[in-house]
Amino acid sequence: MKIFTNKFTEEQKHEPLTGVWLYGGNVHIAYRHIAKRQNVSSKPIDKPKRRIDFNFIIMYCIETNDLTYRFSEKEIVLKNINLKIPQGSIFGFLGPNGAGKTTTLKLILGLLKKQEGTISIFNKTFDENRIDTLKKIGSLIEAPSLYAHLTAEENLKIWQKIYQCSISRINEVLEIVGLSNTGNKKAGQFSLGMKQRLSIAIALLHNPKLLILDEPTNGLDPSGILEIRELLTKLNNEQKITIVISSHLLAEIEKMVTHIGIINKGSILFQGTLDELHIKQAQTSYISFETDNVLQTSEIIKLNNLIPTVSNNQVCISNIDKEVISSINSQLVNNKIEVYQISTIKNDLESIFIDLTKN
Amino acid sequence: MNYIYSLQSEWIKTKRSAASWLCIIGGFFIPLIYFIGFLKEKNSINDYKFDIWQKLFNQSWQNMAAFLLPMGVILASSLITQIEYKNNTWKQLHATPQTYTNIFIAKFSVIILMTIKFFIFFNIGVILSGLIPCILYDNHLPKENLPIMYFIKWNIKYFITCLPIIAIQYLISLKFKNFLVPIGIGLLGLVGSLIGLSWKYIFISPYSYCTMTVMQTKRNFNIFQFATIYFIVIMLISYYLYISKKEKG
Repeated sequence: MKIFTNKFTEEQKHEPLTGVWLYGGNVHIAYRHIAKRQNVSSKPIDKPKRRIDFNFIIMYCIETNDLTYRFSEKEIVLKNINLKIPQGSIFGFLGPNGAGKTTTLKLILGLLKKQEGTISIFNKTFDENRIDTLKKIGSLIEAPSLYAHLTAEENLKIWQKIYQCSISRINEVLEIVGLSNTGNKKAGQFSLGMKQRLSIAIALLHNPKLLILDEPTNGLDPSGILEIRELLTKLNNEQKITIVISSHLLAEIEKMVTHIGIINKGSILFQGTLDELHIKQAQTSYISFETDNVLQTSEIIKLNNLIPTVSNNQVCISNIDKEVISSINSQLVNNKIEVYQISTIKNDLESIFIDLTKN
Repeated sequence: MNYIYSLQSEWIKTKRSAASWLCIIGGFFIPLIYFIGFLKEKNSINDYKFDIWQKLFNQSWQNMAAFLLPMGVILASSLITQIEYKNNTWKQLHATPQTYTNIFIAKFSVIILMTIKFFIFFNIGVILSGLIPCILYDNHLPKENLPIMYFIKWNIKYFITCLPIIAIQYLISLKFKNFLVPIGIGLLGLVGSLIGLSWKYIFISPYSYCTMTVMQTKRNFNIFQFATIYFIVIMLISYYLYISKKEKG
């Protein structure tokens, strides 16, 4: 682990330290430009007060830097993907079909030859530590990968030999995914839901520290989806397994994820915690005024230094404080405008996702 | 040690597979025909004057190696390699902590082991087809001892002639997702070689070596050297193509 201080300017070196975080196995130090912001002299402080706030330390399980992938010269599939997946998180990787989710996950697992950028997993470069890294990863990419002529137990035995985990683990994972009573039934005769469960069992077999699941709830019925969701949440809570789960449906994963990354047309549009997405949701909500005079209502709103838009005979403005809403209402009433309804329209996460991916 | 684990894992995949059935059925097919022939005629190899085992062995191999052996090897090599494409499992396999070299060698080893298994079944079949009629109709064992060294020598020779076919089929099956491609190329190669067997440059086709070994025609080249060189070269090309594949799943 290295501490980089030589990269800072002389001015930065004398500024108070506000945070330290780990990034690619290195310690990075954040300095706050207090001097500039507070408009005071920026002359060096003799003895800078250095404070290490360990709340700033974020360990990333997966980090990609400027990951770019092309199928051909003209066809760019991924453009400068900078994913940062915190350790211990459940990271929902969202995007419409063909957005680049599977390509990103395949690059992370080494299933596609990397062209540009870097990939670090558990703070180690993937290319140089492929075998050690893969020992800690369980994966399910796209459709289930099962040997149709073998039973569930035999399928697991194939991977048990490679991972050299205990044989008893086979029954454990079959129990976990609810497939312990399939007996001699071949995997080819399984329903899609059962195949999906068996694939999850394979991913869990060697007690991985990181689970990469590409659309694992495909083909599952609602109760199956719920069971998988509960299982993944339990694994994350109890065993601190980092889970990366991709989906094209936000509603399907928003109940379990802690972090979200939204990708579209090969670019990351949003990356952060679920709370941050909720803040974005709040920011995109708006107030709607339904009155008997749309034009006059718009004029009154403009007088309050707000920008109204008219839609479906309703005047809309971006979200404002309750006091301002009350004041506008009073002004409308004083101008003898009939106010039928004032409502807050909240964009649900799904529409934010659609908005982001449409744009 | 990792190679052993990879091999064990690959071997499980052949359980109940088409290649596994082919190995059993193909191995016992010709001996069974001879056995039925003995039962029909109510005779045994004791009726031969001398070299009774050699005669039975050579006759069985003639029928086997002319067409069935190369055909069986083409099918088995392609079926084993195509298990991953058929089940959409390349991506899962390549996401496991194994080197690509390990995967390549382990998978190839399974084809070799399967071929050896086929040879063992065939030899057991030949021995039983000679032994059982003797006990049934003559009430004693064959009048000559089993020429084990002779059996081993010719098994090795036939095995070597199979190696370039296995290597070509392995290469094509790794490269192409469509099962018909390796089977089609294999059949074309085999049928083409049988038709052009009298052509003086037929030695350039590795598919002809099994049949040429059976015919024991006089030739000014060593089939086994050719087969070994072909095998090594094709395996090296195959390994390079596999390692440098951009998409591994």
